[in-house]
Amino acid sequence: MTFLKPWRYLLLPLLAVAAVAAFSACGDDDSGATKTPSAAADEAAPADQQKVVMHSVEPQYFDPQRSNFEQDIAIERMLFRGLYQLEATADGGVKAVPAMAAADPTVSADGLTFTVKLKAGLKWSDGQVLTAQHFVDGVTRGCDATVASPYAYLLQSEDQGGILGLKGCDEAQAAKTPAEQTAANAALGIKATDATTVTVTTLTPKLALTFVQIFSLWVTFPARLDLITKFADKWTDPGNIAVNGPYTLTAFTPKDNVVLKPNPNWALSPKPKLQQLTIKFIDDTETAFRQYQTGELDQARIPEPEVVTAKADPKLSKELLVVGSARITAIEMQMNNEVLSKFNVRLALSRAIDRDTLVKVVYDDVNLAAEYWMVKGLPGFQGRDKFKSVIGFDATAAKKALADAGYPNGQGFPTLRFTIIDCVTCKAMAEFLQKNWKDILGININIEIVDSKTRSQRFNTKNFDLFPGGWQLDYPDPENPLVGLFNTGGGNNKYECSDPAIDKAMADAAKATTVDAHIKAYQAVEDLVVTKLCGIAPIFQGALPYLVNPKLGGVKANGTIDAGQPGNWCAECWFVKKQ
Amino acid sequence: MTGYVIRRLLWIIPVLWAVATITFFLMHAVPGGPFDQDKQLPQVIIDNLNRRYHLDQPLWQQYVNYLWDISHGDLGLSFRGDRDVSDLIGRGFFVTAQLGMLAFLFAVVIGVGLGVIAALNQNGPGDYAGVFFATIGASVPNFVAATFLIILFAIELPWFKIAGWGGPGSFSDIFHSSEYDLKKMVLPVISLGLLPAAYIARVTRASMLEVLRQDYIRTAKSKGLAEYVVILRHTVKNAMIPVLTILGPIFAFLVTGSFIIETAFAIPGVGRAFIDAVRIRDYAMIMGSTLFFALIVAVMNLLVDILYGAVDPRIRYG
Repeated sequence: MTFLKPWRYLLLPLLAVAAVAAFSACGDDDSGATKTPSAAADEAAPADQQKVVMHSVEPQYFDPQRSNFEQDIAIERMLFRGLYQLEATADGGVKAVPAMAAADPTVSADGLTFTVKLKAGLKWSDGQVLTAQHFVDGVTRGCDATVASPYAYLLQSEDQGGILGLKGCDEAQAAKTPAEQTAANAALGIKATDATTVTVTTLTPKLALTFVQIFSLWVTFPARLDLITKFADKWTDPGNIAVNGPYTLTAFTPKDNVVLKPNPNWALSPKPKLQQLTIKFIDDTETAFRQYQTGELDQARIPEPEVVTAKADPKLSKELLVVGSARITAIEMQMNNEVLSKFNVRLALSRAIDRDTLVKVVYDDVNLAAEYWMVKGLPGFQGRDKFKSVIGFDATAAKKALADAGYPNGQGFPTLRFTIIDCVTCKAMAEFLQKNWKDILGININIEIVDSKTRSQRFNTKNFDLFPGGWQLDYPDPENPLVGLFNTGGGNNKYECSDPAIDKAMADAAKATTVDAHIKAYQAVEDLVVTKLCGIAPIFQGALPYLVNPKLGGVKANGTIDAGQPGNWCAECWFVKKQ
Repeated sequence: MTGYVIRRLLWIIPVLWAVATITFFLMHAVPGGPFDQDKQLPQVIIDNLNRRYHLDQPLWQQYVNYLWDISHGDLGLSFRGDRDVSDLIGRGFFVTAQLGMLAFLFAVVIGVGLGVIAALNQNGPGDYAGVFFATIGASVPNFVAATFLIILFAIELPWFKIAGWGGPGSFSDIFHSSEYDLKKMVLPVISLGLLPAAYIARVTRASMLEVLRQDYIRTAKSKGLAEYVVILRHTVKNAMIPVLTILGPIFAFLVTGSFIIETAFAIPGVGRAFIDAVRIRDYAMIMGSTLFFALIVAVMNLLVDILYGAVDPRIRYG
């Protein structure tokens, strides 16, 4: 039994771990800042406006012209600002208002030339004067083929699947040699006529609405060519970067976080109150949810299945914020498929989907059941009622449509593939639909699970039967979820919708000369697309569940224009409330 | 010995070449590329992106260029932010190595300790406790263990933090006390070290039991040596040879990162970076990470082989 004595030494590591735990549990809290009286009614003192930690997925770039994803754009909006900016209205809508621009653009009589004057006294964070040339440089980078901007299409012509039709942008995108590039860039239809005036020329007449929306987006943000030349791809590193937005970038650790501080030269109102804003990069929303629960995050996007957990918790339920997103999810149907090319088959599939139950069972009522395509929050939103009676859930009508298509009770109907990615709610949704279609129509669907890049490749090569896809708005204009998606040969028309009536309606809409006519014309396009189920059967409008620390004020969430965080469209509005 | 080490080091070169070649072609054979996304970019933009990253060249040319670049120590630029792959791996590995080494220390101390206790107390309470731990540790996946520990010790009992790593992010910060936060280190280290600790405990126990039955142990005891001398000098030392065999791969496994643990605790390590790279088809990062992992495994195997000689005098290097 004497062997027992040395064993005790082996317990020491365990004791050490326990001691660390006990010591750590007694450690200092991070929030012990001194409080001083605050000027504003519900704002804490400046000394307390510290250490707010938000959640985001890691961005790829802080370079506006190179960015492609929401998480990039979320931070770039804090660092940069365009001539205009999208702003939420009190009624839940959205409007583009002047930001660096002094006023709305002056439009030439032919609708081809837009002139914008800058506000006076604008500066970059490093003190350099912000001039019209910086906006010209930004847009030029957006069109420059060597920059390879993913959102160059916003500036390109309709012929190239673009929107604005900036003169010369197609040529700049197609340039193959440095000489061609230099010449094309110089010939672009954007000029700085003086230090505070930008003139933009388009190939076809454009509405002022379209112009200000495009010039509120990241691809048109101003650029500092001196820094880009000096630091090349490292121009956005802390210490190198200069910004014209409300915050500056002070630290960046890949895979970990970015730290922002107020830009002392931010000339617009409001001024940022938060003295330090840390954005933690957390890819997994479940991890973010846990970190919010421990108090290490002040805001977190949480997974949909955890909404039930949050609702059931007395504390978290008060901090839950569900924001309708600008994304519609639909079942996309490959119309090159002989079976799916039949309208009655598509109708049967759509009418057999019990959207309300799907949203309730799979998404805990977070999402909104939808038969519409233009999302709630978008000008021209038409709502469910108009389309529900035509393509909405009706088991009897679904069976009849399938019988009319030549497959009574599903007899002779081939097995179709339903291609999804490996995620909990994706699988739950697919299984729900599989059962809906089996029970009501008597047809079999194979669920095919692939990774996201494989799925995208299948979609883009049109190698799919049924596909849960949809559209996330790039900007809040009714043309955005329609142009290029449903016109014959459209760049994002992967389901091969080809309908002369839709093509004509689309062409007519492009000619609208007033905002009202523009909206009405695209509503007409939506009517045709939805009622003809031309490649898509809408099923729900997404919503994003967040938890927000009640100490955080000024969060004006608007899912139509937010990116990454609720109220991201106005990060300078955020503040810490008085305790 | 020196000749043996040099030969083994030289063998690493063809091993890395084979890993690079297999990975390169498999990577390009997988469906989906870095610029595939549901909201497809116009073809002219895809062409411009491909040109920017030289993906417009024939595959063989990309392969040759890659071999040329890595032979000059250039791992290329990540498609995520055009950041230098060597820098990203260096940063990630610096964090992962801290996590891995602490988890390794935890696993060795706990594993060897419990294994020895269990063997010396065969069929007694200490043995049952050790076997129980080893069974639990080996059968509970680390994501379950991590979740359990987070809920219990970070949410219900707010003893620890879980947002990120509590060590320095770069070499220049290692002497800055503000970079250390023990509260953030404990749970990821335990979560990661649990499985190897259980494995080491099982191997240690089995090896100890075998050595305890050897004639030389009986002889040592009959010569009147103190029990602790018999245990520490004769039993534990000889029982460590099989344990040492598994420590090399375990160390390599731990210091090359765990995607699950790094994701669960949002740790900016190289394991998470590698899986992210595969997910977004970041070719340069996939290649760089794979080669780096292969190098670590090869070097660790070499070190273990060298250590055999130190522990077992019967082993000679030719």
